[in-house]
This record gives sequence, structure tokens and C-alpha cells, in this order.
Amino acid sequence: MSEVLGDFIRALRSADIRVSTSESIDAGNVIDLVGFDDRQTLKDALSQVLAKSDDEKQAFAETFDTYFSFEQFKERPAAANENDERERQESEEDGGDGEDGDPSQSGSASAPGGGGMSGEPQGEPSSANMDLAALLERGDQAELQMALAEGARQARLNRIRLFTQRGMFTRRIMENMGLDGLNEEIERREASGNQRGAESLGQAREELRGQVRDYVEKQLEIFTANSGRQLREEVLAQMRLSNVDRSDMKIMRELVRKMAKRLIALHSRRKKVARRGTLDIRRTIRANIEFDGLLFHTVWKKTKVDRPKVMAVCDVSGSVAQVSRFLLMFLYSLQEVLPAVRSFAFSGHLGETTDLFKREKLEEALVEVLRDFGGGSTDYGQALMDFEELALDDIDHRTTILILGDARSNYGDPRGDILKKIHARARRVIWLNPEPRTMWNSGDSEMRRLSPYCDKAVTCASLKDLERVVSELLRSAV
Amino acid sequence: MSTDEKGATGDIEAIRKGFETRGYICNAHIATSIFLSEKLQKPLLVEGPPGVGKTELAKATAELVGKPLIRLQCYEGLDEAKALYEWKYGKQLLYTQVLKEKLGDLMSGAQGLKESMTRLHDFDDTFFSEEFLEPRPLLKALWQPGGAVLLIDEIDKSDDEFEAFLLELLSDYQISVPELGTIKARTTPIVFLTSNNTREIGDALKRRCLHLYIPFPDTDLEQRIIAARVPEMEVRLRTQLVAFVQGLRQLDLKKLPAVSETIDWARTLVLLHARELDADLVRNTLNVLLKFQDDIDNVDGEVNALLAKAVQAG
Repeated sequence: MSEVLGDFIRALRSADIRVSTSESIDAGNVIDLVGFDDRQTLKDALSQVLAKSDDEKQAFAETFDTYFSFEQFKERPAAANENDERERQESEEDGGDGEDGDPSQSGSASAPGGGGMSGEPQGEPSSANMDLAALLERGDQAELQMALAEGARQARLNRIRLFTQRGMFTRRIMENMGLDGLNEEIERREASGNQRGAESLGQAREELRGQVRDYVEKQLEIFTANSGRQLREEVLAQMRLSNVDRSDMKIMRELVRKMAKRLIALHSRRKKVARRGTLDIRRTIRANIEFDGLLFHTVWKKTKVDRPKVMAVCDVSGSVAQVSRFLLMFLYSLQEVLPAVRSFAFSGHLGETTDLFKREKLEEALVEVLRDFGGGSTDYGQALMDFEELALDDIDHRTTILILGDARSNYGDPRGDILKKIHARARRVIWLNPEPRTMWNSGDSEMRRLSPYCDKAVTCASLKDLERVVSELLRSAV
Repeated sequence: MSTDEKGATGDIEAIRKGFETRGYICNAHIATSIFLSEKLQKPLLVEGPPGVGKTELAKATAELVGKPLIRLQCYEGLDEAKALYEWKYGKQLLYTQVLKEKLGDLMSGAQGLKESMTRLHDFDDTFFSEEFLEPRPLLKALWQPGGAVLLIDEIDKSDDEFEAFLLELLSDYQISVPELGTIKARTTPIVFLTSNNTREIGDALKRRCLHLYIPFPDTDLEQRIIAARVPEMEVRLRTQLVAFVQGLRQLDLKKLPAVSETIDWARTLVLLHARELDADLVRNTLNVLLKFQDDIDNVDGEVNALLAKAVQAG
């Protein structure tokens, strides 16, 4: 039983549901309690232990339906004229190895995925071989399903990863179910002139092959449904943002959303609310016991209040625009933990875009920003001057300044003196440069003159880099 | 898992029936969760939109199992002094006064400081003991002889610290009082947590709980709920009313009417001796169903269309 559950949980995990070990144990207990008899109850019950949010519930329902589906073996119309022959065959077989097809076990056949018979010795697959022909002719679907599940278990179907493995697994399962014996039986019949029997059995064999292939495909889908996407996401997260293809934007947006969600979950825990100024009676009395209960020391409630302020200054000229785009996307997805983000965009001159982002949807605002501010030739000196005028007064010891740009100022004065002023006032200045460190200071890059006034200057070219930076920002800001 | 002395929660169907006789109509899904929670002895985290009967579920369960319901309403700033225990400071101070007087007798005849200290150590100190402990809801639930149903309402409103602090209680049914050590539950209580999803509940907490999501009921279930709660309402009106509310939930509103609002509306209509829905009646009583003026204004235009559908259903 635990094998079925284990596979099911792995299927859930591949569908992006997080299942912890303790939850798996709970699921085992749940199954002991409700059993496999009532599908709906089982589904209800398991969903309560394994899926713990809206999204997860939905994914759970889908996975459950595909995983525990019973349509594998449809009742195939049995040819009545074969009855007598089959009976003869059966009695013959029963003499040899009757125990194997023990019908008492078919009760637990409702669980696919190779469970149920885990206690059966694996060393003697040959005992099953002779059975397959009889099994096919008997047409007992429950038993066939059992045999298939067992075959799949022996072939380790739950390890299937690639669609190119389908053929191999189909063959292995067939072999485990006793394909050799079946072939021999067909040959024997042909040799003994039982043409009709051989044909019908051959046909049954082909049908079985089709069923096994279906089964393998379904399992493949269950276990790898999301692995392609996961791989793609992984690659995209590490790709240089400037190289991301337009067609991947949708996945990228989704990825940013996911990462932001994770960051929120991580950091919102630490945000505190002001509750200062009330007398903490408990601790006051505790503190004053030594003074005979006289309230000598007073203890006040205090909680850390820290409203982090973030100002993001983004270069939106051609070379950096793409990265800026994602930084802004990130920052605005973090509204829950970073309520006070102000954003500025520049290439030639600089302007504030905070209101724009409040007013418009992220996507539209980004387009507008790129239209209004992008495209000019970059001038860091001008941009910093504008920034000084716009925002210097609002910078205080709680403000973190994020500057995103390649510091390529077209040989104009980058005005390091202004950045120095900003640095003196702000809590932190972080410079994110999409270029690799080796490219800094080459050509018209002015990192040398600007980075002394930054608390930190880092390369930031991919989503992973961005996530790291934002996470750090949150860690020390909140 | 066979029917034991707690016949009421012996199996899922029995729970459903038991709830039904107590006026709480639910589907098998909800009954299953109660069954599991009881059998696995795990807390049940109930989520869903406001007004679908999350709190009601806890009350009904308390009634079903015949245990007292102990309720803890969460809010921002709730701390362990209000949720768990508090020392009886006044009494503790009096105790020290009494102690001071007794101290003379105790120390009489003691030779030197060392012996006095030894005697003081030997003296049974009750300053921090259960006698001076004032139990708050959580501790009460653990101490309740025969067990209790503990409802931790709107956990999402509390701070993260409080959430973390609940973990010990939820996984082991025990709490640690620094001065006393661990206090274990006398009988394991049935614990419900409810959340309106105003913020994401932490993974650690979710992992320790079963998770039940109660959505808005479908037409059939809502009809049965109204029938149970407002039995004096005629079938025809009830069908119309439920159809109307179900239609209303398809609209884009600030706050969708929940079951509790449907019940209120049904009672209102019964009070007004309504026989069937008509446009004027609906417009006049819409404020029972919708709690935002914006919503009421928005729906005003749709009333006729919704009504036509509802009347058809009736």
C-alpha cells in the first residue's frame, strides 16, 4: 500500500505540490482509516492532508483523477464460442501453478501504479509466465490489471523519465507479465494445428500490448507532467536577462511572480507592527520581585518598527532595459513586504515612475516607461542631477537606494560627487550592474568612479541574481 | 475505528447525520474532515470566504461530541498572556507578604547565614506554581477534564510570533511555561483553526494541520441549509431566493454574499411575509445581502435579469 502512496506523492510533487514527510505519514494513516473503497471519500480525505492551499487543491484534484483512474482495461466483448476451449485450457493450467492467479487478491486491484502485491517474491517471474495465456483467455479484467501493475512494479515503471523510454518499458512489462510463455503457447498451438486458438491468443496479445502502452504513457504523464517546465524554468532563471527570448516572457513573468511569492513568505514573517508605549505588566512585576514588589523598574512593550524605504533608480536605455524591467517587476510584486517603493527611470534625463506604477498595470506601465524614458543616450551625470533634485530630500537613514545600470555614461562626467552625497544620507546604496565584472571600467564604463560611493556593487544579469539581491535587501531592510 | 463509545463520530455518515439533526447542513467532504481530525488527533485548519460557516462548524462539532467549546479570537497583538496563561500577580504579591511574616518563624534558631539559606531552599516555594496560574483559553482547553473543542478563530489576524508559538500546542498538545515546565493536555482537545486568508499561513503550521477549504455551497446544499435554518419559508420562495443569491455570486462584487447573508435575507423575507421575489422587494432588502454601497449600486442594474432567472428556477 505504501508503494502506491509513495508513487502518488511523487506524482503530486511533480505537479508542484509540496508534500513534507510528516504529511506523507499522515496520508498513510488516512488511508488506513478510510481505505480504498470509496473513491470520493479517499479523495476528500487525502486532499485535506496533502494539499493545503487553493492552488494545491486544484492540482491535487487533477493528479488524483489521472493517477487513480480505472479505465485501463475496458471489458472487452468476450467471444462466446471460445468458452469451451478456455475452460479446457484453464483446467490444464490450474494443475501446474494455480496459486498465482489467486482471485482473493483481486480485491485490492483498485490501486494502480504497481502496488498491492509488494509482498510477493520477485525471484520467480516464470511462475507468472504460463498464466498470461490463461489470464487473457479468461478475460478477467481485474486480474489483468493486477498482473499489469505487478509487471510495472518489477520493471520499475515509476522511474520513467523520458518519452523515448516508452517502448522499452512496454516491452519489459510485457516480459514480466509472461510474454515469453504466451509466445510459446501460441507457437505450440500453431504447431499442434490449433490455428483458431493461436489466432485469438495472438490478437489478445496485441490488445494487451496496446493496453500496456497506454498504461506506460499515462504513467509517464503523471510522473513527468511538469518536469519539462521545471527544467525550462531553471534554465531561464539562470539565463542572462538580455538573452531571454520574447516568447519566454510569459514563463518569465510567472517565474518572477513565484520568486516574489517565495520572498514574501520568507520575509513577511519578520515584519513587525508598532505596539510601543504600553506597560508590560508581566515583565515589570517579574523585574521588580527583588524589590519586594515595588514597581521600581518599569518595563515597556517595544517592538521593532522598521518601514524600509526603497528607491530604485533604473537605467532604461537599450542595453539595460531588459534587466530594469525585471527589477521593477520584482519590486512591485513585493508590495506586501515593501510597501514604500519609489522608482525612477532614466536614460538621458530622469523621472519618477512611482505614480505610473500605482496607476497602471505593471505591463502597461513598463511599456510606458520604456517609451518615455528609454531610447536616449545615457548620461549618468544628468540622471544623478535630476535624482538629487527630485528625491535627495526624502532620503534618510532608512532608505535603501538601488541603482541599476551599466555605468556607461558616453564619456560624460558621471557626477560621483552627487552619489557621494546620496551615500552619506542613505542607509545603503547598492549598485547592480548587468555586465560581468570583467567588463566594468572598460570603454566608457564609469564604475571606477561611482562604485566607491556604493555599499555594494554587484553583477546582476539573471533572475537568480535578482532574487539574491532582492532577498538580501529584504533581509536587512525589514 | 469501529463504532466505540463516541458513536457520534464513528463514521463519516454518522457525523453528517449528527450535524444535520443539529441544524448544520454539510456535505461529505466536511464530514470527512471532522472524522479524520478526530481519528488522527490532528488540528483542522478551515479556510474559506467569510460567512460560509467555518466558526459554525466548530460549534456544531462541540455540540455533536458533547464537549465544551473554548474559543480564542485572534487579533493583531494577541500574545501568550491573553491566549495561554497569566500569573495571578495580585495573589503572588500577597503571598510574598505572607511569606515575609512566616519567614521569621522559619529562620528562628538558625545559626548563621548558611543555615538560613539551606532552610530557605528546603522551604517549599509555591511562588511559581499552578496555584498562581490563571488559565487563558489555550491552557483551559488543555486542562478541561474530559476534553474540549478548542476554536482558534481567525488565525490569520494574529501575528507571526503567535503562530509560531502555537506550533507546540498543535503538534504535541502541550505547552511550555518557562517557570513550570511542560503542561500536557489531560485529554486531547479537538482543535479548529479558521482563517479568512487575509495573509498566507505559515508552512510549519499548515503542515501540522489537516486543511479544509469550504467554498460557497452549491444550489442544492444551500437550499438544504435554508430549509434547515429557516424552516418556515415556503419551498417556492426558497428556490427563488437561492437561485438569486447563486446568480449574485457570479457577479464581480467587493464582497460576495455568503451563506450567513442568505440566511439573514431569508429571515427578512419571512418577516415581511413575502410569497415570492419581485424587483421592489429585492431592491428594498438588498442591504441585508450586500454590505457595500458600491455593490448595491452595481447590482441595482442587474436585479431584473437575476430575478428573471430566479423566478424561472422557482
